[in-house]
Amino acid sequence: MIGGLFIYNHKGEVLISRVYRDDIGRNAVDAFRVNVIHARQQVRSPVTNIARTSFFHVKRANIWVAAVTKQNVNAAMVFEFLLKIIDCMQSYFGKISEENVKNNFVLIYELLDEILDFGYPQNTDSGVLKTFITQQGVKSQTKEEQAQITSQVTGQIGWRREGIKYRRNELFLDVLEFCNLLMSPQGQVLSAHVAGKVVMKSFLSGMPECKFGINDKIVMDSKAGKGLNTDEQVRTSGKPVVVIDDCQFHQCVKLSKFETEHSISFIPPDGEFELMKYRTTKDISLPFRVIPLVREVGRTRMEVKVVLKSNFKPSLLGQKIECKIPTPLNTSGVQLICMKGKAKYKASENAIVWKIKRMAGMKETQLSAEIELLETDTKKKWTRPPISLNFEVPFAPSGFKVRYLKVFESKLNYSDHEVIKWVRYIGRSGLYETRC
Amino acid sequence: MPAARGDGMRGLAVFISDIRNCKSKEAEIKRINKELANIRSKFKGDKTLDGYQKKKYVCKLLFIFLLGHDIDFGHMEAVNLLSSNKYTEKQIGYLFISVLVNTNSDLIRLIIQSIKNDLTARNPVHVNLALQCIANIGSREMAEAFSTDIPRLLVSGETIDVVKQSAALCLLRLFRIHPDIIPSGEWTNPDHSNSRIIHLLNDQHMGVVTAASSLIEALVKRSPDEYKGCVSLAVSRLSRIVTSSYTDLQDYTYYFVPAPWLSVKLLRLLQNYPPPDDPGVRGRLNECLETILNKAQEPPKSKKVQHSNAKNAVLFEAISLIIHSDSEPNLLVRACNQLGQFLTHRETNLRYLALESMCLLATSEFSHEAVKKHQETVINALKTERDVSVRQRAVDLLYAMCDRSNAEEIVQEMLNYLETADYSIREEMVLKVAILAEKYATDYSWYVDVILNLIRMAGDHVSEEVWYRVIQIVVNREDVQGYAAKTVFEALQAPACHENMVKVGGYILGEFGNLIAGDPRSAPIVQFNLLHSKYHLCSVATRALLLSTYIKFVNLFPEIKGQIQEVFKQDSNIRSSDAELQQRASEYLKLSIVASTDVLATVLEEMPPFPERESSILAILKKKKPGRTVEPIDPNKDTSQASTSSTTERHHHAEPTAHQNGQTDLLVDVLGDMYSSQSQSGAGLMNNAVGHQNNLGGGTAPVDNLSKLSWKNNGILYENDILQIGVKAEYRLNLGRMTLFYGNKSDFSLNGFNPTVAALGDLATRLTVQVKPVESTIVAGAQVQQTINIECLEDFKEYPSLVVTFLYNNTQQKLNLKLPVTINKFFEATDMNGETFFSRWKNLGGPQQETQSIFKAAHPMDSNANGAKLSGFGMQLLKGIDPNPDNFVCAAILHTRNQQIGCLLRLEPNRQAGMYRMTVRASKDTVSKQMCDLLAEHF
Repeated sequence: MIGGLFIYNHKGEVLISRVYRDDIGRNAVDAFRVNVIHARQQVRSPVTNIARTSFFHVKRANIWVAAVTKQNVNAAMVFEFLLKIIDCMQSYFGKISEENVKNNFVLIYELLDEILDFGYPQNTDSGVLKTFITQQGVKSQTKEEQAQITSQVTGQIGWRREGIKYRRNELFLDVLEFCNLLMSPQGQVLSAHVAGKVVMKSFLSGMPECKFGINDKIVMDSKAGKGLNTDEQVRTSGKPVVVIDDCQFHQCVKLSKFETEHSISFIPPDGEFELMKYRTTKDISLPFRVIPLVREVGRTRMEVKVVLKSNFKPSLLGQKIECKIPTPLNTSGVQLICMKGKAKYKASENAIVWKIKRMAGMKETQLSAEIELLETDTKKKWTRPPISLNFEVPFAPSGFKVRYLKVFESKLNYSDHEVIKWVRYIGRSGLYETRC
Repeated sequence: MPAARGDGMRGLAVFISDIRNCKSKEAEIKRINKELANIRSKFKGDKTLDGYQKKKYVCKLLFIFLLGHDIDFGHMEAVNLLSSNKYTEKQIGYLFISVLVNTNSDLIRLIIQSIKNDLTARNPVHVNLALQCIANIGSREMAEAFSTDIPRLLVSGETIDVVKQSAALCLLRLFRIHPDIIPSGEWTNPDHSNSRIIHLLNDQHMGVVTAASSLIEALVKRSPDEYKGCVSLAVSRLSRIVTSSYTDLQDYTYYFVPAPWLSVKLLRLLQNYPPPDDPGVRGRLNECLETILNKAQEPPKSKKVQHSNAKNAVLFEAISLIIHSDSEPNLLVRACNQLGQFLTHRETNLRYLALESMCLLATSEFSHEAVKKHQETVINALKTERDVSVRQRAVDLLYAMCDRSNAEEIVQEMLNYLETADYSIREEMVLKVAILAEKYATDYSWYVDVILNLIRMAGDHVSEEVWYRVIQIVVNREDVQGYAAKTVFEALQAPACHENMVKVGGYILGEFGNLIAGDPRSAPIVQFNLLHSKYHLCSVATRALLLSTYIKFVNLFPEIKGQIQEVFKQDSNIRSSDAELQQRASEYLKLSIVASTDVLATVLEEMPPFPERESSILAILKKKKPGRTVEPIDPNKDTSQASTSSTTERHHHAEPTAHQNGQTDLLVDVLGDMYSSQSQSGAGLMNNAVGHQNNLGGGTAPVDNLSKLSWKNNGILYENDILQIGVKAEYRLNLGRMTLFYGNKSDFSLNGFNPTVAALGDLATRLTVQVKPVESTIVAGAQVQQTINIECLEDFKEYPSLVVTFLYNNTQQKLNLKLPVTINKFFEATDMNGETFFSRWKNLGGPQQETQSIFKAAHPMDSNANGAKLSGFGMQLLKGIDPNPDNFVCAAILHTRNQQIGCLLRLEPNRQAGMYRMTVRASKDTVSKQMCDLLAEHF
């Protein structure tokens, strides 16, 4: 029950304001600006309560998107919805920026009217929305098309219209994982988890029914249970399994089937969509390891040495590696030597940034820095923030594997073999930090 | 600022414009981080920076600091800048230091050294920078380090004027922060700088004089005697300014007014001293003031508002001085006339100021009459003025200018205005009207009229005190009682009247209704019906008061007793949900049924006159507006009018003592305590009947009512400025319960409060006393109770002792008192006919059993009062037994635990000789003796 939705630019000027319920007054717009955007102290909580009114906000680039309510709503639902709106807007006009919002304000109001009704979220699927909210001029639709829209909006399979035809039946499957880590200076893992998602792009004719198989432990166990023995078989077969802590599916997945048969079957929407999201915490293969060595030499000098080790198959290549090493606030000069890539002291961020374009598996490289410090009159000690690392690797750090994806279309004449399938794994860094 | 051309810092300008162009906070922080890193590397770098660069970076740091970021370096560079010879570099260095260096920094010693160097520098601009920095930092260290340098600079002959000016202001700043920095006394030596400071008033340079006069005024405020010499200097300086033409003081003439700021400062300085003794100086000063007044009459030299503002500023300050010295009638009158002109001025601010100053003028005996001339204008202002604050001043002035001659008119005008007055000032106006009416009333019927009018018009704003006061006055002055009764009766006939009116009406009719009962239009039953018609619309407190009035009616007009009893019997009264009403209704009902007319007459006697004391209204007005209330002039001071009214006089004599009393006045005021004391349930019938008289012993001298309490059960046992001890007691046969009320009258709490009650020595075998402990702290204005159970074992003579110890203001206080417990408290009145009495009288004929004493009357021989005393004593008055109706015969039984002792008494007054003969016979010899002793002192 969202009461209203506002979009502000970085100065706090209102770009979009849509109120859904009477309990939200006009002053709510100003309240958020004054108390959050222009607050003296930076507001870090995404939820702010001002005068019995709750404001939920997310920030993209310089744009603030805030949902307002006076009721006790499910905050997770509101944030999910806000992210959906942003996705939706992105799919319509690309990057969210002040200019884009201004240029598309009519479209945004149209979208807001459609996806929120009296504060209750409706269908936010951009593929569906695009069928009736278009950026082009409205061309007169035939009776059949109109009937189709009606049945689609109200019907059971709201995410796919009928009568789609492709010459080449093709589908793309991306397994995208974000690896998060916090490691102690001694190399002990303090916390690690992987947040992953499976994104599918389908160009399939008709109303195909798909079946998706992964190396989930439960599924594998139940499969193995059907055969002769239990774990033994899996281990001997040498196939690794992934232990999924929790997962979430796109609405097209038939949950009843998943619950009874542990099989993921669905009729996919046309185009790109997120099939599932999951999280794992066990048996994560960490792609990189950072070994820091910090030595303070007197009050005006400091020596830092950072060793970076890649920890995956030598045949694979890690990409876009960027290591950020924080420097003390009274740094007056930095000398750097690195074996690979480029390193630079960035004063504006108070950090040394070390960039490596590519790095193969099972390699090691290092950087050493001499930092000169200015004596100050404050006795405060430097807090030593952690070293963070960004990267991209072509495998899933969690061990997630797609076993199969089968397509059945009974009415039209194509079989599973004729569908061209592409699978790709991408492992990226989330918050990948090592304390020093 | 003499910044050299080409000295502008481009890097700084670029940095600032970068920051301004930042799109978001993050971008700004990034830019600042970058700049900070750059400055750090520059400061750290091997290359030594030149002055310009240092200045530029320090400037940037300052800017970053002002944006709200912490700066923890660069101090050293700033201190380095101090030693530069360039003005701009030095200036930036000082700026950074006065903004950023905290007072306990390690660098402060370095800074002090640099400042010292600059103070002795030859370039006056540098000296000034140093002085500014000292004043800006203004820390104790600074004050200590430069306590000798700055005064030296100030009085040295070599220092140039601009520096002197800064030095004076710098010294003033240090003096304000640490007054001990300029030692008093040490400099009284005439050749010392102290006297030289005051000679700065003679300086050629007006700027120096202006700065110095501010400093001197601050010094004078601390020790006026040391700087006495400044008076004549200030006067001569003032006269030079005032007499100069506006062309003389080129730079210091502001819109044709010569040196207005300096003039105002000098005039203000002079207000710290009484008018000068030296006739020459005095004459000169008066001349100046006259010139200022003359100039005000001249046509303005410019139409600009600045011109008139400056001129009027000087004029008003001069008038303040005239009022302050209050010695030149001529000037005062002229000032008054000048202000009178302003009263009708277009400018609202001027009207306000004129009224305010006139308020002060009205208090002076010389100008009071002159102020009165403007009465019409002021009243007019009250009616037509649009600004409420000005109207408020007009009310103040009217109040201040009021005296006996114009009181009636002013009060009438204020009453008229009250109807339309703003709500914010109504309450204050009501108080003022009430005070004026009381103070200047020659005819008290007029006073009563005014107050009743007041209640009628602004009932909501009439505080309790106002109507308490009118009742006090009516009760105390017999001549207005009839008139008051008639007036309230008429006022009550209005269909809707304010509750306060009902209260006053109820009280006055209850007391003096009989005075107008003769008129058939205000017959008793009419009075009663009139009051009762308002009864149901009133609050509980008022209803309680009305019930008391009704019972008084029972006494005054026995013929309407029936109707009144009906009212008491009504369910809404006798079964009222309010305990107070219920108790009153049932007790009064019983009283009206049980008691004989005589008893009724005694119990419901007319209220005795209240003790004279300061009007509590005045105290409230003072509390409301401390410092702003101007007391109207004392008519006693006014020689032209022979004071006539003795009440007013006494009233004024009482004033000084009443001040401390002001706050606790409420505690003992007329009826203030009536409800609280009565609502203690369990109080006997008698308590209520005499309730009106409870706690009326006022005054500030300690009151000890021990002997009085021997024939009363309730009252005030003891009272001083701090503590009031009230007693309420109840006796039944040989048992008694006494409640002591300890009321804290002071503004502090009493700690370690510990009262001890004991029957000492022989008494312990005759009387048992059980005491409940009390809390050890009584907060200001609070009251605590203590209950004491007493049992009489045998007859006794002594009083039980009451020792009260407590800490007041951290000093131990101890009070040695006695509890009013005498044998007669355990009397039971016994009724008997003549026959029984005489047979008993004869039975007790033994020589031991009779005690007789013959004594002189100490009080007027009033037979009613004596009767009341005897029955209060606990004995039954037996009427018609003694052949001589003047004589009293009484009987009672004394209950002790062990025995019952019959007591008979005969009191024979001899009016011619003013003597009494008292004979007491009791079945126990000690009892008769004790009774005789106790009673004798009361007649």
